[in-house]
Amino acid sequence: MYVKTGIVAPEYNFWVGLVMDKFYDGLENKKFIGNKCSKCGKVFLPPRKICGDCFAKAEEFLDLPGTGVVKNFTIANYNVNERKARKLKEPLNVGLVQIDGADTAIITKILNINPDEIKEGMRVKVVWADKIKGTPKDIKGFEPIGGE
Amino acid sequence: MSKVQPAIISCGFSEHASKRSDVNMAELVYEAVENSIQLANIDWKDIDLIINGNMPAFEGANMPELWMGDHIAAKNKPVLRVTTGGTTGGSVTIAGYYAVASGLYDTVLAIGFEQQSCGDTALGLASVAIGEIVIYPDVGYDYGKMASNMSAGAAIGVAAYQAMNYMRRSKATEEDLARVVVQNRRNAAKTWWTHLKMPTITIEDVLDTPYLSYPLRFGMVCPASDGACAILFTTEEKARQIADIPVYVNGVASVANEPAILAPNMEGAGQVDPCEQLGAMKSAELAYGQAGISFPEKEIDYVEVYSPFPNQELMWVERLGLFEENMAPEAYKNGLTAWDGELPVNCSGGVNSTNAIGASAMKDPLRPHCKSWEKLQIKYLKRSIRQWGMDGVAQLI
Amino acid sequence: MEKVGIVGYYQVKPGLDTMMSPPDMIFTAVRGALDSAGLKRKDLTTVIGCTNDYYDGKTISNAYKVDASGAYMKDESKVEFDGAHAALYGVFRVLSGNHKLAMIYGYSMPSCFPYETVRVLELDPTFDRTISLLNSYTAGGMQMRAYMKKFNVSIEDIAKIAVNSIKNAAKNPSALPEAQQSNISVEDVLESEILSSPLRKLMYPMLCDGTAAIILAPEKQSLKITDNPVWITGVGSCQDTYYLGERDLSISTSMEIAAKKAYKIAGINDPKKEVDVAEIFGHTVCEDLILAEAAGLCEQGNGTSLLDGGPALNPSGGTMSGLTPCACGLTRIIEAVKQLQGEAQDIQISGAKKAIATGQVGFCAQNNILYVLEGGGN
Repeated sequence: MYVKTGIVAPEYNFWVGLVMDKFYDGLENKKFIGNKCSKCGKVFLPPRKICGDCFAKAEEFLDLPGTGVVKNFTIANYNVNERKARKLKEPLNVGLVQIDGADTAIITKILNINPDEIKEGMRVKVVWADKIKGTPKDIKGFEPIGGE
Repeated sequence: MSKVQPAIISCGFSEHASKRSDVNMAELVYEAVENSIQLANIDWKDIDLIINGNMPAFEGANMPELWMGDHIAAKNKPVLRVTTGGTTGGSVTIAGYYAVASGLYDTVLAIGFEQQSCGDTALGLASVAIGEIVIYPDVGYDYGKMASNMSAGAAIGVAAYQAMNYMRRSKATEEDLARVVVQNRRNAAKTWWTHLKMPTITIEDVLDTPYLSYPLRFGMVCPASDGACAILFTTEEKARQIADIPVYVNGVASVANEPAILAPNMEGAGQVDPCEQLGAMKSAELAYGQAGISFPEKEIDYVEVYSPFPNQELMWVERLGLFEENMAPEAYKNGLTAWDGELPVNCSGGVNSTNAIGASAMKDPLRPHCKSWEKLQIKYLKRSIRQWGMDGVAQLI
Repeated sequence: MEKVGIVGYYQVKPGLDTMMSPPDMIFTAVRGALDSAGLKRKDLTTVIGCTNDYYDGKTISNAYKVDASGAYMKDESKVEFDGAHAALYGVFRVLSGNHKLAMIYGYSMPSCFPYETVRVLELDPTFDRTISLLNSYTAGGMQMRAYMKKFNVSIEDIAKIAVNSIKNAAKNPSALPEAQQSNISVEDVLESEILSSPLRKLMYPMLCDGTAAIILAPEKQSLKITDNPVWITGVGSCQDTYYLGERDLSISTSMEIAAKKAYKIAGINDPKKEVDVAEIFGHTVCEDLILAEAAGLCEQGNGTSLLDGGPALNPSGGTMSGLTPCACGLTRIIEAVKQLQGEAQDIQISGAKKAIATGQVGFCAQNNILYVLEGGGN
């Protein structure tokens, strides 16, 4: 049977919007910037323009600390990105971390810890990448703060 | 006839521009949704179902309403996605009609959007056929030969082929095409959300631009816009309470005629004359039948036609039964289709002035309100195309 | 809601690589469905397809399927979620009174595209996609961990459900042959490769090419077409928030809301007692449990009790009998229809009168739809 393989690779450049722009600016300065819903006071990180529960604008921006709590985690053996899915040589600790003061959790890596030792509820702090570019990849991951 | 009579109570828009760099996709759609909810003066919690559509290849996002949920008033509500390429706007609106007509949902929000500046429009359109044409060079039919033999050159190549046929049949001239463009762009200048507003454009201005693909000049073709449009449907009962003048939707139809242009494995076109538009005629017949219209040229008061290229506008107003065959250019010359004419066409400027592909087929059904017509049953036609503007038609009456 | 009848159906036998082209598969399914009902193409008034442009690698993926799906010069449209959502649009069209016969089909070919990779395109491009940590495996892993922790369910118990589903698939003639393992044990499941802890490979479905088609008709027409129609008596759908960090992954709010709406329309007060068969589309075995609990088939956290009694969970094997994106929801509906008509052969649950079938789309079952189906007179 005739089979033809090849790659068609269109490039996409997404506008992030003015709200996420501020978040990206914050990353350049190694800071987390979130925002707050004007009606219910829910705090979002990363910030978003509209609060889903109220369908109202979240206008107030605030600085958030670089520490948080692990809400959930998994040890991944595969890395899947837009190009391919491949098996990892070393398992990767992936977790949902809720920054102190925020009501949302972000998905991130959990570093410098044995996979068996990760627990829900442990406190972690951010580890920034060596080269800061002002994109979400600047968040290298989170590592345990000593003590539960 | 449907058992529940659906009505449109508001139509919201976002600002359309060639690059909306101040918003991401979700925020762009939010603008249209917020506009439509405000105009209808309802509580966002009263919306029972949200239907969304766009052409996915232009943004590089698969099923974007999943992550846009919060921004489109969809938290903990049912959501559907309807996409049919260029006719997406029409298909989403028709889906909104059916959702209310079924009696399962009372208030339905139908959204169409596109943020074309995120991706490459030409490649997005070309990927309709890439899977089919890559085999050709391997069997000795190289791309150069293909381009000159087939109506390649994406949408404009196909439209140019269509234009040539129309001009041969009707003896229309380039001036007639330019006249359509002038009418559309001047109309667009009167509406806040359109993209190309040109209140003083003349036929000479249009003819002074270079050819893209004979007979279509640069000045004649539609822009690529970022924008969103949201329409709120509800039942007749609720519409009477909420809106001053609800717009009842009486007939919808959408007919597929893909084999007219390209069958799978590039088996060739099913029709030789692209002006034939069997799909357009059949869907018009179905929709008129549902709406109880027997003499469209007398009974229709207003028309919105999906025509990114001016020759298509001329062709389709004929296929929809509004003018005799080959008589459309005359009608435009005599001012019948102008803003203040007997049968106004595209008072919003049409797709010729604003083309955010996912949204374009959702034209403003409430436009006639500005002219304060008295008839409650405002009939309008909306014609949309799928693929490269050849087949597949959607009507809303 | 007036009853909508399912008067015909057809499933193309799934395969890891069926070596069929898309029009071939779709034609086989649509032709098969028409033949099963004794109808002709001219009887159809509308066709709703379910395909996904990214899974197909083609913009306007329904464009080349028009002749194959019988939609030439007919009212055609396309839903880009799951087959079950396309069926919902079909229900709208039939209930509106404008259409007397609707053909719904769903298809995709995972042998031609990398499924997990393409799913990454569903993510938020402003944040999650740039980080590339969220995908079907990690989402499934976190969901399973949340469920096991909250309700104190052991991984062995979940493995028992996986074994049950895989053994059912082994008896299902319409299942993917490579997914059929009749001698599987709990140890096999626990020792299979860890995709993303604690999710095991044998708790995750195998992706396969396939197509499914069903035909819907209003009540009056259904009774003229067949002696044994299956009725859709209720339907409900709901979408959760996208952000995993804001959801309780051990439950499914969207399925609870969808199920309540469907049960209300269908007049079901106690699903634990009234539902005989549940065909659940869960993206992993653990998700099958979470969704079954959210649909009210058992107490929350007690999904594993379904092995001992109550509604039969996935007698066809569920997604463990093969997962074809876009067609899976329709396959679940078809399996439920077979049960209610008494045609399910080796996997028949005897005396099945009421069934539910679900479809979903999005990570961790973000958007769910649930149908209540009733047999005409089994």
